[in-house]
Amino acid sequence: MRLFSKILQVGLATEPLPPTSHEVVRLLHEVDDRARRLFGRALAIREVDAGSCNGCELEITGLTSPVYDSERFGVHFVASPRHADLLLVTGPVTRNMAVPLVKTYEATPAPKLVVAVGDCSRTCGVFKGGYGVAGSVDQFVPVDAFVDGCPPEPAAILRGILAAVGRR
Amino acid sequence: MRSLFALMLAGYALGAAAAVLRPGGRGGRGLVAAGAVLGGAAGLALALQVLLTGTPFVLEAPAVLSIADGLLFRIDRLGALFLGLVGFLAVPCGLYGAAYSEGYEGRASLRLLGALLNLFLLTMSLVPCAGNVLTFLFMWEGMSLTSYFLVLTETDEPETVLAGGWYLAMTHAGLALALAAFLLMATSSASTTFGDLRAAAPALSPSARNAVFLLALLGFGSKAGIMPLHVWLPRAHPAAPSHVSALMSGVMIKMGVYGLLRVGLDLLGGGPTWWGALLIGLGALSAVIGVLYALMEHDLKRLLAYHSVENIGIIFIGIGAGLMFQSFGLPALATLGMVAGLYHTINHACFKGLLFLGAGSVAHALGTRNMEEMGGLIKRMPRTALFFLVGACAISALPPLNGFASEWLVFQALLGGSAIPQPEVAVVMPLAVAMLALASGLAAACFVKAFGITFLAIPRSARAEQAHEAPRSMQAGMAMLAIACVALGLLPFAVAPILGSTLAGLGRVTPAAIELTRSLPLQVPGASGQMSPPLLALGLVVLLALLPLGLRLLGAERRGRVGDTWGCGRIGQTPRMEYTATAFAEPLRRVFAELYRPTRDLSIDFHPASKYFVQSIAYRSEIHPWIERLLYNWPLRGIRRAAVWVRRLQAGSLHLYLFYLTLAFLVLLTMARWWR
Repeated sequence: MRLFSKILQVGLATEPLPPTSHEVVRLLHEVDDRARRLFGRALAIREVDAGSCNGCELEITGLTSPVYDSERFGVHFVASPRHADLLLVTGPVTRNMAVPLVKTYEATPAPKLVVAVGDCSRTCGVFKGGYGVAGSVDQFVPVDAFVDGCPPEPAAILRGILAAVGRR
Repeated sequence: MRSLFALMLAGYALGAAAAVLRPGGRGGRGLVAAGAVLGGAAGLALALQVLLTGTPFVLEAPAVLSIADGLLFRIDRLGALFLGLVGFLAVPCGLYGAAYSEGYEGRASLRLLGALLNLFLLTMSLVPCAGNVLTFLFMWEGMSLTSYFLVLTETDEPETVLAGGWYLAMTHAGLALALAAFLLMATSSASTTFGDLRAAAPALSPSARNAVFLLALLGFGSKAGIMPLHVWLPRAHPAAPSHVSALMSGVMIKMGVYGLLRVGLDLLGGGPTWWGALLIGLGALSAVIGVLYALMEHDLKRLLAYHSVENIGIIFIGIGAGLMFQSFGLPALATLGMVAGLYHTINHACFKGLLFLGAGSVAHALGTRNMEEMGGLIKRMPRTALFFLVGACAISALPPLNGFASEWLVFQALLGGSAIPQPEVAVVMPLAVAMLALASGLAAACFVKAFGITFLAIPRSARAEQAHEAPRSMQAGMAMLAIACVALGLLPFAVAPILGSTLAGLGRVTPAAIELTRSLPLQVPGASGQMSPPLLALGLVVLLALLPLGLRLLGAERRGRVGDTWGCGRIGQTPRMEYTATAFAEPLRRVFAELYRPTRDLSIDFHPASKYFVQSIAYRSEIHPWIERLLYNWPLRGIRRAAVWVRRLQAGSLHLYLFYLTLAFLVLLTMARWWR
């Protein structure tokens, strides 16, 4: 009973959704269409943090948030590269993550795509020259598309994914 | 027939004599094995002859033991079935033992091992041949004693002696109860032959019949390893040499089933409903709890021993269902239940024998039975792995192997219980079905663990890394049983009528019901299901052929890509990252925490400077078999107290013993004087 009275007292605590950007919906539809044509099914993404500051991760998490909700278009994140079609790599590649990144790429079944997210993934950004930084993502695995921005917003990431899917 | 019987005796005697005269060495071990194989083959041939012709084989030797009617052998079809089972398993186990016992060279007495193995096979073969009480008990005791000494082969391990003690105590308690059952029956009978006991049984009062049944159930149940009496199985089976474990688990515990069938069904002719219900209840309990304890085991052979408890439970469910249907006057369903139970008896002998031989090969190669030290053996012992896999699939009741065929029949028998319009039956039968289903599912999980942890992944120890394939004769023994597992799974329509014919004339089984067994595997009377094992096998083969073809048509890549196992991108994978047997069973340990009552002990050793650097982690978890302690602790305490008291009588003085003798003599004389 206390639970119910609590529910009644508090009422709705969630914020209303902002108006959905038609741009994002169009992008997601397009990604889904292309992915279906390419893989014969919805797109499964594995995210690899190769040493990022987690700024890009925040934006990528935004993709699955209620605002963008990429899952409704079949774009979903999976827990193992064995299940993935596309790797989303963030950050400069650090010495510790260099081998795991390559192993993850090898473990992903073909056909596979790699999208490098964030400025660091292309140029190593502010971390360039750091003692722990081994290099940019394309020095270790073939990259299909880069997404610029520090961090890039979800819509930009979607555009990058679309570019990668569209290349094949 | 007489010559086959003589050949069987001669074979085993030859094996035993060879062991005594020439123990050890390649030739000596070969001779011991040859004796066992010859005796086993002759026994099997004799059994098949009796089974197929139906004429019982009778041999009287009253002069050999002149008390209580002397020795009498009478092999009818039921006895022949079990005699055949012994012979059938003696051949591969004998072959296997030739190479396996090499490991005992210099460690244990091969003279004793070889001689006792053959004597064990001999007495065990003669148990189902017995035609009167004396012969039966004599052979039964011979079987128990020889197997006790066989369990004690590895005396250099302290646990072995303890295991032997448990076994000896349980088997003798069982013998005492069985003896009491026979004596109770013999009170109103002219002689102690089974024929006279059968004739006199209807004259017994209902309470006497119930008492006989209960005594027989407890007595033979302790040999069979039914639930509360199973304590010796997980102790004695792992301690014995593997080919002996295979025989003990494959056929010796089945002698308990034989004894119960002989007394309950043949001599007493069946009884009230609650007999069957009791058997079903005990069977269901054994099946579920046996497999639950098996899941928690890391000792490969102990795991198999707990599975014996489970499978004996399934056999008891089948036989119990048979007895129950019989009491309601449903002969067709009764026959179905009995045939299912007997079929599972044979099947369990095959696959459990095979699994024990496989586990023995692994233990032989590694020198340990602990599963946590195994792994990766499929690369090093591919044939053993294949045979073990066949056994594991069979015991998990996967079609088209034999475990599936018999468990399917047990299920059909239980589902047929809806034909009885009685509320208590309506409650018991679905419960038994549910318990059996639970047990089969858990058994499959357990063998995923047993096979996966033992044979797959990376070796967990240096010993596993250096493992070698088993010698040829051991492989041959396993191969025979593996083929039998497949054959019995594919040909139930050939086996079921033979099993049905063994029931002829027992209890109230009618000829019409036995006629039904001809169509049994395909069509069960009154049941909605149908099963055709050959079609199932064909379907599986077609499926396996179609799958690659379909993938090819869909445009799948023809060649596979070989890569590392995905280990979250770790650099270098070690056995420490593997799933352990404990971890695999952990979810079930939590679900059934009330049954296991596990104790957990986690000790973490930190670096002195920072607790973020762990130096070592030790995790210990033990399960607490509280049912066993609840039932056995207080009698054990009582026995210990009594033993302390009795020890005062044993002062070791010769004069005192002479006094006891005189006293006993006087007491007996007085009793003889005053009794009448």
